[in-house]
Amino acid sequence: MISFHPTDEEQAFYDLARNFAVEHIRPAARECEANRSVSASIIKMVGELGFSTLELPESWGGLELPLISQVQILQALSYGDLGIVQGLSGPGDTASFIRLQPDHPLLQSYKSSGRNGCWPSVAFIDATDRNATWASELDIRANGSGYIVKGTSQPVRLATSAEYVLIAAVDSKGECVVLWLENKHWEVLKGDFRLGLLAAGLGRLHFPDVHVGAEQVIARGKEASELIANVQQRLRVLEAAKEVGLMEASLNYAIEYTAGRQAFGQEIAKFQGVSFTIAEMAFEFKAAKHLVWQAAIKVDEQASDAEGHALRALSRAHRSLRHVTDCAVQMLGGHGYVQEYPVEKWMRDAQAQVALYGRERDLLVRRGEQIMNRQKERVAQ
Amino acid sequence: MISFELSPQQKQIKELVHWFAKHEIRPIAMEADRLGKVPDEWLNKVNKMGIHLNTSSFSGGGRTAKTGEKNGKKSEKEANRMAVIATEELAWGCPAITLSLPGAGLGGPPIQSSGTPEQKERFLSIFTKDEPRWGAYALTEPEAGSDVSGIRTTARKVDGGYVLNGQKIFITNGARASWTVVFATIDPNMGRAGHRAFVVEKGTPGFSCTRLVHKMGLRANETAELLFENCFVPQENLLGGEELYSTSGNKPSGFQVAMKTFDSTRPIVAAMAIGIARAAYEYTVDLVRKEYPKQGRLYYEAAELLAEAEQDIDAARLLTWEAAWKADIGQPNAMEAAICKAVAGKMALDVCSKCLELLGPIGLDGHLVEKLYRDVKVFDIFEGTQQIQRLVTARRLYAPYGVHV
Repeated sequence: MISFHPTDEEQAFYDLARNFAVEHIRPAARECEANRSVSASIIKMVGELGFSTLELPESWGGLELPLISQVQILQALSYGDLGIVQGLSGPGDTASFIRLQPDHPLLQSYKSSGRNGCWPSVAFIDATDRNATWASELDIRANGSGYIVKGTSQPVRLATSAEYVLIAAVDSKGECVVLWLENKHWEVLKGDFRLGLLAAGLGRLHFPDVHVGAEQVIARGKEASELIANVQQRLRVLEAAKEVGLMEASLNYAIEYTAGRQAFGQEIAKFQGVSFTIAEMAFEFKAAKHLVWQAAIKVDEQASDAEGHALRALSRAHRSLRHVTDCAVQMLGGHGYVQEYPVEKWMRDAQAQVALYGRERDLLVRRGEQIMNRQKERVAQ
Repeated sequence: MISFELSPQQKQIKELVHWFAKHEIRPIAMEADRLGKVPDEWLNKVNKMGIHLNTSSFSGGGRTAKTGEKNGKKSEKEANRMAVIATEELAWGCPAITLSLPGAGLGGPPIQSSGTPEQKERFLSIFTKDEPRWGAYALTEPEAGSDVSGIRTTARKVDGGYVLNGQKIFITNGARASWTVVFATIDPNMGRAGHRAFVVEKGTPGFSCTRLVHKMGLRANETAELLFENCFVPQENLLGGEELYSTSGNKPSGFQVAMKTFDSTRPIVAAMAIGIARAAYEYTVDLVRKEYPKQGRLYYEAAELLAEAEQDIDAARLLTWEAAWKADIGQPNAMEAAICKAVAGKMALDVCSKCLELLGPIGLDGHLVEKLYRDVKVFDIFEGTQQIQRLVTARRLYAPYGVHV
């Protein structure tokens, strides 16, 4: 039965996360950005509330929540500040690999390291797009039963604090592989990041000529390909949910500001150029949110069309996020452009987020190819 | 629990209605557009099949379905969700024919929501299988479109009823309707508080159809201009009776009848727009798969356009379902109704335009998509333009701050 009602448990999680976001995350956003890292106190509170282990399996001490529950909580947390959410130390994007391979022997040392509830950071490098080699100088070359990793990754989050690295790649022979590195045989190139998500530990990882033994391979070949595809589905939905939270923050801030700001003798909300823009921001926020929810359910159900739903949810979230955060700055006028107000940061964070997590147009084309190559395609359920 | 799964009953209705749209409506869509009308024999046939356009589901009086797992568990109303699911399928067949289907049409919701029990019985029970009948809804005037409060049709109280004088335009099925819900004012100086809704029956002296308009699209569907010249309407045809207007105190209840109708019909109109967009999309996907190259520039252009169209259609559908779901669970849905109408109306035109782009020049010559493009434009206009929907949405967003926009 069609319903938009969260369960009582989801609502309770959401309320807790939203209050935490408003009371603790948002007030710390500027300081964390200036420090280029998330404060220890925030990380500690997030851990205590259980928000750092939403995706981790129960056998790891995680909450192992379905995606439909996670997307609501991530939306609520990101309502506070996306930069902080992306900079929270821990497994980061690798949590989805752990979710799908909880008993893999290679991951057990990491599991042990997080027993006290304080999870070390893991950087995730997705080097699976062979058409984007210009963007990355990372070469994964087969070497007997192992690999040689050489070169520099694209910028990834949690790079500066990573104690572990997970690489998902297509090797020089065109075969998929998932590698786990934990000996810090890499150099962090901190780079010159100025746009956004500055508390997220952005950096590029340089691997001089790292020999990776067979014992560091989580999966290869068909197994790796399937694992990566399943993880990418989850990541697309989870990242899109964070974007929805940032959209909601921008929308609500812009509503409150324009309801109070006066010009030409009245609240600027009374000008249709303003109120119509606000309405359009609401349209985009709600449209993106629904598509994210739908994709979350599809992935939870392991539906055959889950990948397509995940692709379009993230594509739409990117499109809506850029629109909504830009509009928020516009609604504040000059005030939107200066750092006394949060919206300029949110617009920067939005653009950085979109850059990190898959090009909008590329996601669309991938989905479009699925549509064009399928025998029968119907939009209806 | 959040879910986008149709209930078994919804699935069944969807499949049934789709079958009808595919096998009965779509085959005559282009011909009906050329003729500028839906053939009478076809209308007689479907009326005998008991198929009506019922938009009354949003009144709150819709049917219910058991959804409880145990006997005795309270059943959940799903009529509103059912209505948008079914209407999308009908419009997928052809929106002009859908709007021409016998039944109370847009006149149903105000009677369901505001009519007295006697009026509901008298006006809603006429839609039987013996012959096709229609209801209509007349609000718009030459000088009062989006600004509903500015209607100038007057209703002068006389012994035993009211005398109406004025003109109404853009009235769907207005000439053929057995009755029309007509909005008029008892005193223009009273503003919204002066509004009253009447049910004017066909053949009432002083009530006439002066013209059928020719349109860009929806050509098979009748759009009428109506004239009221000293038209006497008996007291018992004042919608809701005097009681409805006197018990509402200072509230402009006649205006509220009109607005409540919009909250009810906008999701239906949104669902129709989605059905049109889906029809254009599916038609184009079929053509692209057969005719387009399998690689290269055109292939990637098509992939991007189709993916965007699919995404936009589904996003609009979920917004529409949300508006219907809120109505089903008894929550105010005015903002959701406005949002889904605004998004679906604009989206559907955009999707049809993208599909025409993909078809290229051949799309101009006898293809369904060009008709759908002409049909769909008005879905961004009637039942409130996209600008009005933005206004309605913004008003509700600013309400917590005490700012009336």
